Amino acid sequence: MKDVLSSVLDKISGLNASYAEIRTQENGNTFITVRDGQVEAVSLSTEKGAAIRVLAKGAWGFSTTNSLARGDLEKAAKSALKMAQVAGQSVREPVKLAPVKAVEGKARVKFKKDPRKVDISTKIGTLLNINSSCFNFDKRIKSVTVNYADLATEQTLATTDGTYIEQLKMFVWNYCWVTGKSKSVMASARDEVGAHGYELYTTEPTDKIAERVSRKVVQQLEAKTAKGGSFPAILGTNIVGVFAHEALGHICEADLTLAGSALMGKLGQKIASDKVTIYDSALIPEGFGAIEYDDEGVPGQETVLIKDGTLVGLMHNRETAAKMNMKPTGNARAWDFRFSPIIRMRNTCFEKGDQSFKELMEDMKFGYYLEAFRGGQANLDGTFTVGVQSAFEIVKGELGKPVRNIGISGNTLETLRQVDACGKDFDLGMGRCGKGQAMFISDGGPPLRVKSILIGGA
Amino acid sequence: MSYMELCEKALESAEKLGAKEIEAVVVVRRAIGVEIERAEIKTCNDVMDGGLGVRTITNKKIGFAFTNILKQKEVEKTAKRAVKASKASPKDKNWKQLPERQKYPTVKGLYDKRITKFSSDEAVVLCQKMISTAHAVDKRVLPAFGGAEVTIFESICLNNHGVKAEDKGTSLVCALGTMARSKTQVSPMCFELKASRRYEPNPEWVAKEAARFAVDAINVGKAEAGKFPILLDPFALQSILTYTLVQSVRGDNVARGRSAFKNKIGKKVAGENITIYDNGILPGGLRSGRMDMEGVSRQKTPIIEEGILRGFLYDNYWAKLEGKESTGNAGRGGGGLSLPSYGTIPAISPTNIQFIAGTFTEKELLEEVKNGYYVRSVQGAHQSNPDTGEFSVALAPAWRIQKGKITHAVKGVMIAGNAYDMLKKISALGKETRQVETFIAPKAVISELNVITK
Repeated sequence: MKDVLSSVLDKISGLNASYAEIRTQENGNTFITVRDGQVEAVSLSTEKGAAIRVLAKGAWGFSTTNSLARGDLEKAAKSALKMAQVAGQSVREPVKLAPVKAVEGKARVKFKKDPRKVDISTKIGTLLNINSSCFNFDKRIKSVTVNYADLATEQTLATTDGTYIEQLKMFVWNYCWVTGKSKSVMASARDEVGAHGYELYTTEPTDKIAERVSRKVVQQLEAKTAKGGSFPAILGTNIVGVFAHEALGHICEADLTLAGSALMGKLGQKIASDKVTIYDSALIPEGFGAIEYDDEGVPGQETVLIKDGTLVGLMHNRETAAKMNMKPTGNARAWDFRFSPIIRMRNTCFEKGDQSFKELMEDMKFGYYLEAFRGGQANLDGTFTVGVQSAFEIVKGELGKPVRNIGISGNTLETLRQVDACGKDFDLGMGRCGKGQAMFISDGGPPLRVKSILIGGA
Repeated sequence: MSYMELCEKALESAEKLGAKEIEAVVVVRRAIGVEIERAEIKTCNDVMDGGLGVRTITNKKIGFAFTNILKQKEVEKTAKRAVKASKASPKDKNWKQLPERQKYPTVKGLYDKRITKFSSDEAVVLCQKMISTAHAVDKRVLPAFGGAEVTIFESICLNNHGVKAEDKGTSLVCALGTMARSKTQVSPMCFELKASRRYEPNPEWVAKEAARFAVDAINVGKAEAGKFPILLDPFALQSILTYTLVQSVRGDNVARGRSAFKNKIGKKVAGENITIYDNGILPGGLRSGRMDMEGVSRQKTPIIEEGILRGFLYDNYWAKLEGKESTGNAGRGGGGLSLPSYGTIPAISPTNIQFIAGTFTEKELLEEVKNGYYVRSVQGAHQSNPDTGEFSVALAPAWRIQKGKITHAVKGVMIAGNAYDMLKKISALGKETRQVETFIAPKAVISELNVITK
């Protein structure tokens, strides 16, 4: 493979490309869905393809092919070159790439149990267990969907800068959606877990998954609706994670910062309370964003975004790093060979503090404990929303009754200034992010207390 | 080997391995486009993706496999893997059978030869027009992201119950996201797009609209909390109803007791002014076609007529289970893992959700609101509860309406309510409709929603 890729790259370099990269992949995936105890379908796939990016005349050209034969790769590379030349016709500020050290390497994600070596029937049995444990949890549970995927990718990356990396990437993913119904209320909850190998179900036994998600449903059936307005709140680790990712993380992606996000021009400035330190790291091995190299060949690393309240870093690819005169941070990632690498998060977390959960609640007369999220979204101007699927009232420093179906919203920077205490527990959650293409990511942190947050009650 | 021959090969291979029911689909798609980033034309793409998926069912055990390698040998292997997956699966007691032979409608305006000849150079010109038009509106506007792209696609479906069909289509999209900033304020990202099946680009209109919204969103004034009438743009309406109404009219959710509309056929679920179809055969519709993704003919399905719930959306599996006919709503792909459309088994998916327009002019809609808000887009709608219809979303961008006129932009405001109640509280519908993703809808006035402010 190496010879083929270098000969194609040589040819393209000779045709006035300033940079070219070929990323080939061979994927073997399994997908299983169980709905209310019925195995909907077991799906097996094999795919292969290559994504080719060429920089010429200061602009990018991108093309894909489903063949790894020399002739087809060459054709696709020429097409990418042509595309770059077309795009480059009117460029005022040519794209430049921050220099990187050429890397020759082999990397394997760390896992204990290869999902490719586990029988399909074992996988099905695991999912059926989750399904039946959910139904057995409470008779008000009415419907259960369990989605499973394992994805194994053998990837090679070759660039005209001399980088050649072979990588094995692996993900095992489990997602449940459970609905319950009492006389007058319907409620649902989601649960998403993952690991790099089939050891997922050792760390997350099926009954634990089922109990966790079913409990949230039942709790909501018994919950009342929240009051709307601004209240003090404790954000649980799961909410803190999605806040780190959606509200802050996206506006720290340098392509979005440059596009005019709320953090544009704020590097070096104090933007959050002293209690806030946030980082995006490729170096948490169990995290879904653990990568040894990104898809431009930059080594995985930890990038501190906010240190004690000051914005100290952004997430870069080689292009934004050059533009801002900074170093690439290894955040260029592509979902598969159908997509070009763009700036994506890895494992994005708040640093933990020193307070117990009880201490966080102590002085709160009335507020909310927001335990788990349904989804989150943010606009570049810093407006974020997080849908909460599980929450409780806090009354006189104690956990009170559950409340259901609330959303929180606010301005990221205002909210970061409202953080007045961080817990000492820490949790990391696995998830996916959409930015024109899917991506596996992780996020997390300790529970946080905020002085005020806008609650959208019913 | 042609795509149909590859499908035949898949059927033949699976049959040899003892599969009883077999279906093969091929979907091939080519996209050529140019991306705008920070007012620059930065990337040009020419992306080709195609593949084949095989579904086999033997003794109610379903298996599926797919590949993007469209060669005979790989297709044979894929058929073999589908059979292997089926053998490993327990019985699905709900399985009946694959779709039977169909008659297909002729739908106009879905394929334009002009688009098949589209070049990347043309995409560059369209993008240049968008950038210069946006700048001309106001120099504070940054055309942050956007692009122009054409897609040419083809799908083939073959099964051993007599389905043998092909469909093809084209589309062209021009889209732009802009932000505007003054010394002290940043607008939210404001989007506009024009998507069509024919070659009908309108880059100037897209850029003007996107830029105008961003400029108008800079000057933020006071927002008031409480219960107010709200004018929802089709963008906002689409967001809120996609995650609530559309989920509740999916036949699978109805069958599984997950729909708020279960047992409500023939009953009043919306105001008398509300009529909604799922129209898969709408000429020129973005989601129209001859057939769905398992070879069932597309159709026009009444969902709500004059406020009365008429029907649900089905694919073959759920229709047969419920003793009904498929409404041609089988879709494939996606599933949160960016899977290509040949890469999943079918699932119920809307085509064009068509609201019948009302009679109100733009001015009359604002007068109907009198004292309230105009909401162009909402954020966080995907966090709504589809089972109950409860939603709470942030508004970005949105404007205050006072004395029947738009007065100023607002920020940090949420609205909360119940989407199913909302359908009963639509007091006015605009006379113009437009398509936003799966929705074709007019602007709508909701007589009362809860507005929450800081």
